Amino acid sequence: MTRPVSLRVNGRSHSVEIDPQTPLLFILRNDLALNGPKYGCGLGECGACTVLIDGLVARSCCLPAALAENREITTLEGLGSPAAPNRVQAAFVAEQGAQCGYCLNGMIMTVEALLRHDPHPAEATIREALRYNLCRCGAHVEIMRAALRAASGAPVR
Amino acid sequence: MTAQPDLPRDRRDYMRWHDVLLVVRDLPDASSSLPDGEENVEIFVMVGADGHVTAFNGHVDLGTGIGTALGQIVAEELDVAFDRVTVVLGDPSRTPNQGATIASETIQITAVPLRQAAATARQTLLALAADRLGVSLSELRVEDGVVLTPKGGNLSISYGELITGKRRVVRIDPEAPLRPVAGYRVVGQPVSRVDLPAKATGQLVYVHDMRVAGMAHGRVVRPPYAGLDSGIFVGTSLIAVDESSLAGIPGILAVVTIGDFIGIVAEREEHAALAAQRLTVSWKPTPSLPDLSQIQTALRANPSTPRLLMNRGDVDAAIAGAALPMPRTYVWPYQMHGSIGPSCSLADFRPDGLTVWSGTQNPHVLRADIASLLQLPEERVEIIRMEAAGCYGRNCADDVSADAALLSRAVGRPVRVQLTREQEHAWEPKGAAQLMEVGGGLDAAGGVVGYDFSVRYPSNGAPILAALLTGAISPVPVISEMGDRTAIPPYGYEHMRVVAHDMPPIVRASWLRGVSSMPNSFAHESWIDEAAAAARVDPIAFRLRYLKDERAVDLIHAVAERANWVPHTEPGSAGGDGDVLRGRGFAYALYVHSKFPGYGAAWSAWVADVEVNKATGEVAVTHVTVGQDSGLMINPAGVRHQIHGNVIQSVSRVLKEEVAFTGTAVATRDWGTYPIITFPEVPVINVLMVPRPDQPPLGVGESASVPSAAAIANAIYDATGVRFRELPFTPERVRAGLEAAGITPAQPPGKVRRGFWAALGAGFAGLVGLATMALPLRAAIAPVAPADTSLYSAAAVARGRVLAGLGACAICHTVPGGAAYAGGLGIQTPFGTVYTPNITPDIGTGIGTWSYAAFDRAMRDGVSRDGHHLYPAFPYTDFTRATDADLQAIYAYLMAQAPVGSVAPQTALAFPFSLRPLMAAWNLLFHRPGAYQPDLIRSAQWNRGAYLVEGLGHCGACHTGRNLLGAERASRPMGGAVADGWEAPPLMGLSHAPIPWSEGELFVYLRTGYSALHGPAAGPMAPVIQELAGLPEADLLAMAHYLASSQSAPVTAETEARMVAEIKASTTGAMRISGGPGARIYQNACAVCHEAAVMPQFGVQPNLALNSNLHSASPNNLIRVILNGIQTPANKSLGAMPGFAETLNDAQLTDLVGFLRRQFAPGKPAWPALQSRIARLRAETSAS
Repeated sequence: MTRPVSLRVNGRSHSVEIDPQTPLLFILRNDLALNGPKYGCGLGECGACTVLIDGLVARSCCLPAALAENREITTLEGLGSPAAPNRVQAAFVAEQGAQCGYCLNGMIMTVEALLRHDPHPAEATIREALRYNLCRCGAHVEIMRAALRAASGAPVR
Repeated sequence: MTAQPDLPRDRRDYMRWHDVLLVVRDLPDASSSLPDGEENVEIFVMVGADGHVTAFNGHVDLGTGIGTALGQIVAEELDVAFDRVTVVLGDPSRTPNQGATIASETIQITAVPLRQAAATARQTLLALAADRLGVSLSELRVEDGVVLTPKGGNLSISYGELITGKRRVVRIDPEAPLRPVAGYRVVGQPVSRVDLPAKATGQLVYVHDMRVAGMAHGRVVRPPYAGLDSGIFVGTSLIAVDESSLAGIPGILAVVTIGDFIGIVAEREEHAALAAQRLTVSWKPTPSLPDLSQIQTALRANPSTPRLLMNRGDVDAAIAGAALPMPRTYVWPYQMHGSIGPSCSLADFRPDGLTVWSGTQNPHVLRADIASLLQLPEERVEIIRMEAAGCYGRNCADDVSADAALLSRAVGRPVRVQLTREQEHAWEPKGAAQLMEVGGGLDAAGGVVGYDFSVRYPSNGAPILAALLTGAISPVPVISEMGDRTAIPPYGYEHMRVVAHDMPPIVRASWLRGVSSMPNSFAHESWIDEAAAAARVDPIAFRLRYLKDERAVDLIHAVAERANWVPHTEPGSAGGDGDVLRGRGFAYALYVHSKFPGYGAAWSAWVADVEVNKATGEVAVTHVTVGQDSGLMINPAGVRHQIHGNVIQSVSRVLKEEVAFTGTAVATRDWGTYPIITFPEVPVINVLMVPRPDQPPLGVGESASVPSAAAIANAIYDATGVRFRELPFTPERVRAGLEAAGITPAQPPGKVRRGFWAALGAGFAGLVGLATMALPLRAAIAPVAPADTSLYSAAAVARGRVLAGLGACAICHTVPGGAAYAGGLGIQTPFGTVYTPNITPDIGTGIGTWSYAAFDRAMRDGVSRDGHHLYPAFPYTDFTRATDADLQAIYAYLMAQAPVGSVAPQTALAFPFSLRPLMAAWNLLFHRPGAYQPDLIRSAQWNRGAYLVEGLGHCGACHTGRNLLGAERASRPMGGAVADGWEAPPLMGLSHAPIPWSEGELFVYLRTGYSALHGPAAGPMAPVIQELAGLPEADLLAMAHYLASSQSAPVTAETEARMVAEIKASTTGAMRISGGPGARIYQNACAVCHEAAVMPQFGVQPNLALNSNLHSASPNNLIRVILNGIQTPANKSLGAMPGFAETLNDAQLTDLVGFLRRQFAPGKPAWPALQSRIARLRAETSAS
């Protein structure tokens, strides 16, 4: 059963005629053409699809769109652009925090949410925050450095 | 260097350009049939009139940023700034055919002609400049693409000026001088990758992100023999596809069936996904696989052909004379590439040809494969290589490209096909299991007398899946000779024989990073460590006796020094604390790859530090010192990044990874059952890169993985004195090995309490005769004209709406997706299915002609207007307690609804229940009509709560068990029951919640559908909560007050807090000890939402230790939630849970559910017969 579903994404309002049980990820990607969130597992296990809902991390691959209705959804695109990346994005570029980059969305969004919650996290806290974000290339070292750099605002030694 | 701008799509377009310098190579098979020789060339370098350089390389970027290093090479040789260079990678239409991107060859092999082409371009341009400027060539120099005369002269001319006005095509000149390494400005400098700003902001278009006009979405449905691709059943197992199973799914464009290939195309992705899940397909049974939990046996039994790779001295005689024979067997498991993004492709089939956007490793071969599958000439197939998730070898990227091509051809539109996680896991060609056997021994002096090595590696190139499934190619396994990588050990043993037993795959397998080398080196480097220990020689010193390669020796010395290696001859020198034993291990490898005898990539050596917990068997790799000699490093930042990646990925493979199989298919289909390394498990990595600018650059994409397994195995030996020869080093395997060696923990791990528990009493089972019952008939109440709804006040209708919500009328009288109150929902009862009637005011099919008297009689006595008895699935036994005023309000509300013409299916119960008049006798026995009578010694709030709970709220209809005749058991009110296949748990004093329900928590639960101390409402309770939303707070408080009143003592907030702390303390610490596969699934699939995190996340995070369902006698609710998830929560802010029915099989769910019970309800007995119960509930839920 379709109905108009109202979604507010990256500060803009959209109404999509859709089955409200459709995973939010499909709507972000297919209807709103946002490529930041990625399909990784459909089970919330890997984190590639992470978005922020009202500033909190959410795994959009297994979240019915109805649940995100009338809330503030932020995707990777909503943080910044290549010309004007936000601090977390800039830190990931500076520390080369990716190899293939498929998991990068989840890493950046999770660190962004962490820093909004805890602006000065300890290294162990960052590891814990990223525990359920999987990276297969093994870019963990660079990702950790990027997160630390984003947190401190300065290059990491 | 810049990212790829819009450039021409075809090589021939470049060849037509003017104002360019093109450096080319003749096609290897260039025929003279084409008149213009320029059609028969491959372009390597192009310099434009704007001074911009485009470089072409046939390999692709598999996520390593290889284009950056290639750009550095070209910028260096051409003497231009790095950002003037664009690199075009693997694209059959434009780039040279340089084979598949495998074996770390890009820098070592394919960059060689590119570099020479750049040097040729420079030389050509210098010659032109010399001519134009009238200066001898040797006097010229170049600065960023500008040719300058010697100091003093101030003439200059840019590359662009030299090129303008003419098209020049030159062949690569093998003699063109290369720039001296000493003068390098760009090569050797760490350079940031050019792709990351776009990737970090969601702007880079991966193949998954491709969208074109008119694009439809495809999904494939794979056969049950998941992960198998040889045998006569492949392509011949389909019996039938029932397309009617897709009825009701909108936008289905096609169901395509060819042999065992099934694909579905839909307008929207979610509909394609739903259709693929729902499509009913019948398949022939799959023949059984060999038992792949016993890899040694399975690989020995697999037919093979020995191939002698080396035979030096007299191995047999030497080993026969050994003072200490050391035959050893080493076993490697099946592993996965595990790309984070399941493969995806877009294909556009048009009358004039086919375009495929693909993440392939091997675009040229893919083009040929797809052309052959679709029977198109190759030149009409265009493969556009897009970035994809890292693949580390042959994943499903090629397979999904062929799938997309077939589906696009079927619908004549562009079709994007996305594989699911489960499909990628199940079908990706696995990194093969491998069996290494070493015969060898030591002489009396501790020297190696001989080394007799053999390897079995059941793998090939994995033919494209669609070709096998459609029957286009025969499913006869091809034997490829790939088990020989690094099969020859690096040590100069005097007598040595090396044999590869070439064999076909057992399951679908192909190359994975470190192809056969990682396992072979695991054996070589474990064996020499064992030999060193037997000889009582330090492991590094022992190796150096047999190692002659100077660069290897240098590297090993450097790594030993960096790691502060302390020579030792006994395990245990690193000590430990309590149950934790520490150790360090060494291993070395030169990764020898490509067709035998192959050639070496970078040299690598590891020192791994581990901590082994002897109580749990858990191994933590805490620190890795890794050294690498890569020759000249083009981009040291990239090399370091690759080393990190290899170390982390290989630690994951060594400690955790193993594909499991059912008897007929791959069983591990998600990250819960095939876990990979997580952030807290990543070791500290200390990288040592040997500077060798004078040596040719070597591949760095795999080398650092190769020593990993042996270094870790050797470290575990050093910590424990126990040798492990089979991967992965999981806690179970290590614990078992330590136990076998008599190593016991300081304190034995806590015993898991087990018990036996009788099966749930069958509440509804059995049946007694009803013969003695009276059979009174009831009179019809005359139909009336439809009620004039204007007579009812808005306030009465509004109150009726709230009360109808309390009665949850809409839940039973509405079918999913249907009109509210129009009835037709089937209620399962032990006596058959009762269909609910239409209760909208429709005259013909609803209750439009019911007077209030008729309505009142139905609600209180269970008799329909026409006099027939209603079944007590309709809870008139509770509704009878309502006041007249409340029933009138509900009547007013229902009559104010829009009439809907709809006839519910006929209820047809089994005899004797089919005889409705029997219900009169039933009522006589069990029905106590009459409005609620307050208990005068109780408070008004209590009475209000009792009125709501026992009356219109009819909580007992689900939560009170029923007797054999379907009546609520008066003796055990709210004692718990089964409703709709779910357990409606006991309420009030009988609750099995680990923390007693307090009034406050009951209220919060009824209001929000969630209690942090108990869990969320799920199953049939979720909509009940939604229906209660209109009820005033005072009423909910009264219900909570009444329900909590039967507790022996009120539950205080202090009690709750204390119990939460106690329960959490008793259920979190023991996690690892109780471990096993169920714990792994929990930690990798469930914990992300169920474990407290360091920051809040959207939705609730129910703690399972507090959840009543874990403590119940019945596992049904838990199993149902895991199978189906919670997609429509009681309240949107609770978040959702995915279902795992498509992901976990019955055995895996049994492990998980069994673990959850042990872990989170440690005082409770294990649930019996879990696996059969899971199978039954799966069948029930998939049928509904």
